[in-house]
Amino acid sequence: MLERLSQRDKRALKIFAICAIGVVVFIFGSKWLGHWVQARRSLAEVKAKVEAIGGDKGSVVASIVPVFEMPQKEETQKFLFRNRLNEQLKKAGINSKPLQVLPAGKVRKDGYGVLRLKCNAKCKFGQLLDFLAKLNENPYLVGVEELRIRCDAKNREDMEMDLTVSTFIK
Amino acid sequence: MSDSVVKKDKVLSAIAISQENDKFKAVELRKQDGRFELLWAKSSEADDRQLDVFAARSGLSIEQAETDSNRIGIVGFNCAGVAFYRIWMPVVKEKELAAMVKLQTETRLPLRAEEVELAWRKGRTRDEEVAVTVAAAKRQRLQEFVEGVRSVKPAKILLDSEGIVEVWRRFFGGDAGSAAVVSIGARSTQVCLAEDGRLSNAAILDMGTEDFQEGLEDEQTEAAGGFAQDIRSVLELFGYAEPAELPVFVLSDGGIVVESIVSLLKSSGLDARIALPELKELTTPSEISAEEFYNYRVPVGLALIGVEERAEELNLFEHLYQPLEEEKKKHWLYSQKVVYAIAAVMLVVLVIVSYAIDVASPGAIEKRLKASSSDTDISMLVQRQKLLRTVASERANLLELLEYINSSAGRGILLDTLHFKKGQPVSISGQADNPDLLYKFQESLLTKKDIKNVEIQNASKDPKGDKFKFTVTFHYKNFTKKAIGT
Repeated sequence: MLERLSQRDKRALKIFAICAIGVVVFIFGSKWLGHWVQARRSLAEVKAKVEAIGGDKGSVVASIVPVFEMPQKEETQKFLFRNRLNEQLKKAGINSKPLQVLPAGKVRKDGYGVLRLKCNAKCKFGQLLDFLAKLNENPYLVGVEELRIRCDAKNREDMEMDLTVSTFIK
Repeated sequence: MSDSVVKKDKVLSAIAISQENDKFKAVELRKQDGRFELLWAKSSEADDRQLDVFAARSGLSIEQAETDSNRIGIVGFNCAGVAFYRIWMPVVKEKELAAMVKLQTETRLPLRAEEVELAWRKGRTRDEEVAVTVAAAKRQRLQEFVEGVRSVKPAKILLDSEGIVEVWRRFFGGDAGSAAVVSIGARSTQVCLAEDGRLSNAAILDMGTEDFQEGLEDEQTEAAGGFAQDIRSVLELFGYAEPAELPVFVLSDGGIVVESIVSLLKSSGLDARIALPELKELTTPSEISAEEFYNYRVPVGLALIGVEERAEELNLFEHLYQPLEEEKKKHWLYSQKVVYAIAAVMLVVLVIVSYAIDVASPGAIEKRLKASSSDTDISMLVQRQKLLRTVASERANLLELLEYINSSAGRGILLDTLHFKKGQPVSISGQADNPDLLYKFQESLLTKKDIKNVEIQNASKDPKGDKFKFTVTFHYKNFTKKAIGT
C-alpha cells in the first residue's frame, strides 16, 4: 500500500508522524517536567532542613560556639550564667568584685531576651588572656558586650578590667 | 593473501578510465546474468588534459559510483616505470612469505626501500616452491599520480597491464596458459606476460604504430628490426631463454599495421599470433566495430576486473590511497552520526539518572531523619541550630583583637587603655615616643583584614615629658558598627 503513495503523500505522512510524536512528547514531557520540578523543590526543602538541624557540624559556627545550652527562664538562666562566669574568673585567678546583673533589655525578634552581667576586677594581663581564651566554654554565654582595660601607671602588668557579657533568656 | 591487494566486493557495474598519449578513455561495463554490457565509451578531446575536467565534461559519474554499492570507479595506471620481478620462494606461511618477498625485492631494487612501493601476489606452485610476482615503483611517482586522480575519488587504481591481460583473456580469445600479450599503442607498446590468466610480468617499449607507418612495405627497416629484437629481449627478460616457445598474442583491430607487425615478428622466429576481438559475450546499446572496441581495450579490461569475481590485483597504491568506502569502514566509530548518537544516548541517560536521584533523594533523606529522631526532636534541633548561628554572629573574638593590637604596636608605643563596646568604634589610648611611630602603628593596624577606619583622634605632646599622648579608634568586623535592628 505504501508503494502506491506518491512522494508528496509520503512526505506529508512523515510530517504528520513527526507532529504527532511532538504532541505526545510535549504532553507527557510537560507532566514529567512538572513532576521533576516538584521533586527538586522537595529535595531543596529536605536539604535545607538537614542543614538547619546541624548539617554543618564542624563548620565555623561549631568553632565559635563549641558548647551551648538552650536558654532558660530569667531566674534560672541568671544564676546558671553568673555561677559559670564566676567559676571561669576564679579559674583564671581573677578576683572580681560581685557580679552585677543589669536589667534585661527588649525582647528580640526571635523571642529571646538579653540579660547582661557586669564584672569589675583587677588582674594581670596574662590572667586576662587566660580568661578570654576559656570564655567560649561558658555554655550560657552569648557574647562580650563591652570590655574596658586600663593599665596601671606604675606597674604595667597590672590592669583594671570592666567586662559586660550577655546571655539569652526565655 | 598479501597485504598489497584489494579485496573485491560484488559489483555489477564498473566505470574505468585509462590514459594513453595524453588522451583519456572511459567506459562503463555492466555484468548481468553472466553477460557483459558495454553501456558507453568516451574519449577526451584535445583540451581535456585534466582528468577531473574530462570526467565533468563527459558527465562521468565515477564519484557518484561511490554511493552506489553496485557501481565501482576505476582509474588505470600506466606501467611505465613499474619494475616487475618474478621470484620463486619456498612454501611458507603468509606472514613469513611477506617478509621474505620484501627482503628479496629490496636487494634487487636500484632505490632505497623507503623510496619504493611494493605489491606482490602468489602464482603457481612447483616443486615445493611458489612463484611470486612483485611489482615495484617509485613512491614519489605514485604519489603524484594519486594527487592527480584524487578529485574523482576512484574506488581502485589498477595497473593498465592487468587490464590488458584481462581483456585479452575475455574478449581476444585468450586462455589460462602462459603467453605474451602485446598491446601496441600509437607511440608505445606494452608487453605483458600472462600466466594462469593473470599478469605476471610487464614491460613497455617506446615504439608504436606511428613508428611503423613508413616501413610497412619494407619489413626489414631499421625500426622493424629493432622492434622484433626488443620483443625478443623482453621475452628473455621474462625468463624465456628460447622466446620461440612462448606464444605471442598481438591484440589487433584487424588493421593492416598490426598484421604487418605480426608478420615481422613471425619472420624473426617468434610464435606471434593476431588476437582479434571476439564480442559474442558482449552486448552494446548500438553496434560496435572491432576497431572501436580495440580503441577501448584497456579501460574495458580494467572494468572487467571491477565486475568479475577474480583473484586479487596488484595494488601499488595500498599505502598511498584509501578508497572512500574503505575509509568509512575503518573509521565508522569516529563518524559524526555515531558520535551524535552516543552523545544523545548519554544525554538521555544523564537526564534519567538525574531525575531518578532527584525523585528518590527527598524520600530517602526523610526516612533516615525519621529513623534517627522524632518530629519534635527535629523541630528542636532546627531551633537550636538557628540560635547557635545567632550566638556565633554575636561573639567577638577579643583574643584575636588583642593580638592584632599587640602585633601592630612596635617599640616606642605604650598602650594605657582599650575600650571595646558593641556598636561603637574600638578606642585605644597610649603614648608614643614620636609621631612617626604613631603613624606606623596606624598603618600596621590598617593591614589587618578585620580592622577598618583606623583614625588618630587626639595626638598631643605630654607637657610633663617628651612623649606624645594619643587616642586611636577603629572598627573591628561588624561588631563595632551600629546595629540596624535586633
